[in-house]
Formats: sequence, structure tokens, C-alpha cells
Amino acid sequence: MNSARGARFRLEPYLEFAKKAISREATYRFDVFTSIGSFVVRVYLLRMVWTALYAHNAAPSDLPLHTIITYSTIALLMGLVLDIDQTRILHDKLHDGSIATDFMKPINVPLYFFSDGTGEVVFHAFLIVPALLLSLLFVHIDIPAPGVLAAFALSFLLGYFVGFCINFILNCIAFWTLEISGVQLILTWVTDLLGGGIIPLILFPLALQKAIFVLPFAAMFSTPLLIYVGHIPPSGYAAAFGLQISWLLLLAAGAWIIWRAGARRVIVQGG
Amino acid sequence: MRTMLDVYGQYWRINVLTTLEYRSNFLIWFAFTFVYHGTAISALYVILRTFPSMNGWSFRDMAFLYGLWMVGHALNNTFFSAIGDIPEHIRDGEFDRFLVRPLDTLFAAITLPGQIFPDELILALVYFTAAVSYSHVQVDALFIVFVPLIAIGGAGIDLGISLMISTVAFWFIRVDALRWIVLQLEQEFTRYPLAIYSRGVRLLLAFVFPFAFMNYFPATYFLHKTENGLSLPPAVGLLTPLIGTAFVALAYGFWRLGLKRYQGVGH
Repeated sequence: MNSARGARFRLEPYLEFAKKAISREATYRFDVFTSIGSFVVRVYLLRMVWTALYAHNAAPSDLPLHTIITYSTIALLMGLVLDIDQTRILHDKLHDGSIATDFMKPINVPLYFFSDGTGEVVFHAFLIVPALLLSLLFVHIDIPAPGVLAAFALSFLLGYFVGFCINFILNCIAFWTLEISGVQLILTWVTDLLGGGIIPLILFPLALQKAIFVLPFAAMFSTPLLIYVGHIPPSGYAAAFGLQISWLLLLAAGAWIIWRAGARRVIVQGG
Repeated sequence: MRTMLDVYGQYWRINVLTTLEYRSNFLIWFAFTFVYHGTAISALYVILRTFPSMNGWSFRDMAFLYGLWMVGHALNNTFFSAIGDIPEHIRDGEFDRFLVRPLDTLFAAITLPGQIFPDELILALVYFTAAVSYSHVQVDALFIVFVPLIAIGGAGIDLGISLMISTVAFWFIRVDALRWIVLQLEQEFTRYPLAIYSRGVRLLLAFVFPFAFMNYFPATYFLHKTENGLSLPPAVGLLTPLIGTAFVALAYGFWRLGLKRYQGVGH
């Protein structure tokens, strides 16, 4: 399975994989326009919805209008990156059988998927700039202190890795059953809702909050966002990062186990 | 007409048999439909728990608003979802097959069997029944007569717009972006009362893509709301069947025009 074992590890091939993924994504101009178009429409919608809600009700004291608009806009920007299934290529390769030849190449296959996915994400991360500029036509966004921004960036990165592991595990399921696109869409919506990507989790009923906050979805959206808007103060950073890292380790271990089991299966089938 | 009915019956027979053949796939897509609507309604619930009123609409009102849209939308999805695939058939040349069929071209295009099952429609009807009792809307004779007509009219609006977008594919091959933006307008903007939007968007949703007639105007009427965002008389909510019919007729005319042009090119 692992032909790279024993050979000296080289980073260059993986950088090439990432670069190739970037140029591949850039050819789908249609997808770029729709994701930015959709983003702008959603920013408009969120502004109208929250403005209407705050105009007719008493605002929660710890969540003024400008904070929730900042929260929702940043959540949408994060979604440009987090809603991507970085390991779809694994699913595709299982479908057409080309995974078999990847196993013969002198590369670490999961790492290959990781660099391909990262290339795809880096391309979409560039879309954040035009999307952010366009959204500033509709909304005002609060900018926190540099220290808070740094903590947000770190938390966002951890959340990205958590999301990568979840997607990887899901795509590994295709080793056993081939059709998973329905399950993936379901997971995207559940992540958006229970991860705090649509509504801040602090607005959920208290009893539910306790359960939702420890789920891995919250580690993807909610933790970085609550750090950004200052709802998690610097004194809470250690606990927040700790939970994110715990999920990351747990899911990475799970991904590794399921990958080993699946890869063995391919070899059994392939003879 | 007899043949058409027979063909249509066969079409549904094959759909059901196909669905039964791919049972696990069907279960996944049912879960998909359920979770899609479930997350949308849950999000509304969580928002309106903290903010009890949205321009005078409570969660109970909005549950009804969503249900009314869901029934019309599911009705169109169940019977006419194949219209959305027409641009793809035009693109890959499959469409020519429909032109040489003995029955009407549009009829042939929408009776292409697949894994189609009325699961969303059933879900919509169950949800709508629950939403009616939950929202305390007054169920009288007018309501019972008009709600089915409004659902059909709503499906007609959906159908008309979908057919027009597909017809545009006779001129411009790629219409995915257009369909996609209009679908988003429909799915996300029909969840909230029209009055929260800026005037341009209100006019767009009332008169250009008249999704407001699928649920907002009728709901305003049945829930006795005092304003409907455009200062129209409340009874406009009962015009949905008319608008739906007009829209389908308009879309069909446009379709015939496109079809003529397609043949003219000589594919």
C-alpha cells in the first residue's frame, strides 16, 4: 500500500499537486461567478433579516445588531472555504477505479489528497477578497484588535483541519458504498446549522447549547466566530483551542483507521 | 389525449418501479429532503425564539408561510422536475430524440422516467397540515376551496419560471447560473415576510419572479395581516391561481417560440 515507505520523503511533488489543483479550479469560471453571486445575495438577505428583527424586538444585551451582522458576514466568508469538499477527488477516483494506479505511484496517497484539497481551498480563499469588497457595499463589519484576529486565524485553521477530517472520513465511506453525494449535502446543512454558520449558537435553547457546543461542527464555525466577535474572551482561548485540538486528534485518528481499512479492501478486490 | 394519459400512467409506473429497485438511494434522498426542510424550519424557530416578531409575524405565522410555499414547490418538483434537465438535453444532443417522438415535444421531455417519487409532496402535505393547526389560521369554506387552488397556482408559477429558464437554453446554451440564482431567490427569500426587503426586491418578487404569490400574499390574506409590503389590497392573495395559469401560458408560448427557433437552426 505504501510504496513511499523507506524512500526519502520529498515535499516538492505535493506542492505540485496543490498547484495543479489551483489551476484546475481556476478553469471553472462558472462556479466562481455563482459562488460570489450567491454570496452577495446572502449578505443582502442577512442584513435585511437581522435589521428587521432588531427593529421590532428588544435586542439581547450581549449581541447588538452590528455584532450579529459582523458575525453572519464573517460566517459566510468562512463558508466560501469551509463548505468545499476537499477530498471529493477520493470519491471520484473510487468511482472510476483510478485509485488503483495511485497506489502504485511512489507517493503517500492520503497526503496527495490533502495537497490536492488544499490547492482547491487556496484558490477559493482568494475569492474571499472580491467577496469581502462586494459585501462592504451592503454591510459594515467590525474589525477586532490584532491579537483577537490572530486567535481567530488560528482557530479558523484548526476548524479547517477538523472539516478536512470529516470530509475525508465521509469520502472513505465510498470504499464500501459508492453513492454518498446525498449524505454529503445533508452533512453540509447540518454543519451550517449546528456549527453556528447561520445563527450564533448562543441563541439556541440553553439545554441544546450544551450538547451542540461539544460537537465537532461547533469547532468548525462557531469557535472562530465567537472569538472574532469577542464572545469568547482571551481567558477562554485555551479551553476553546483545547476542544478544537481534541476533535482534530480524534477525527484524524478515525480518518487514519478508516483509510487503512478501506485501502486494504481495494487491494483485496484488485488482486 | 387517451394515448397521452396511457403514456403518463406508464411513466409513473416505471418511476415507482425504479424507486423500489434503488431503495437505499431513495432513503438517502428522502433523508436529504427531510433534513433540507428541517434545517430551514429549525433555523426559523431558533431566530424567532429570541426575536418573537418579524415585522409583526410570529414563528407560528412563518411556519404557515413556509408550509404554503412548500406545498406548491413540492407539487412542481414532483411532476415537472424534468423541465430543469432540458438545457442539458439540448447541450448533449439528446433533445433531438424528443422532436421525432409522435407525442408533443414538451410532453416527451417531461415524461423521461427516473428515480422520481412523490416523497417531497407527501412530506409537504404532512407538514402543511401540522402548520395549519399550529398557526391557528382560520379554516373556513374559503380556505378549503382556495388553498388547493393556491398550491396548484403556486406550482404553476414555479413551473412557468422553470420552463422559461429552460427555454432560454435554445438561445444561450449555459443557463445554469440563471437557474441557480432564481432558485436561490425562491428558496431563501420566500421564507421571510416580503415587507423586510427593500422596495426593488419586493417588486422583483411580486411582479418579475412572482414567488410572493406562492406564499406571502395568500398567507397575508389568511392570517389577516394588515400590510403586505406593497400596499396592495389583501385579496390579491387569492389571485395566485390566476397568476399561476397566466404564467404557465406565457411560458408555454415562449417555449413554442424557442422550439421553432431550435428547428430552424437545423440540428
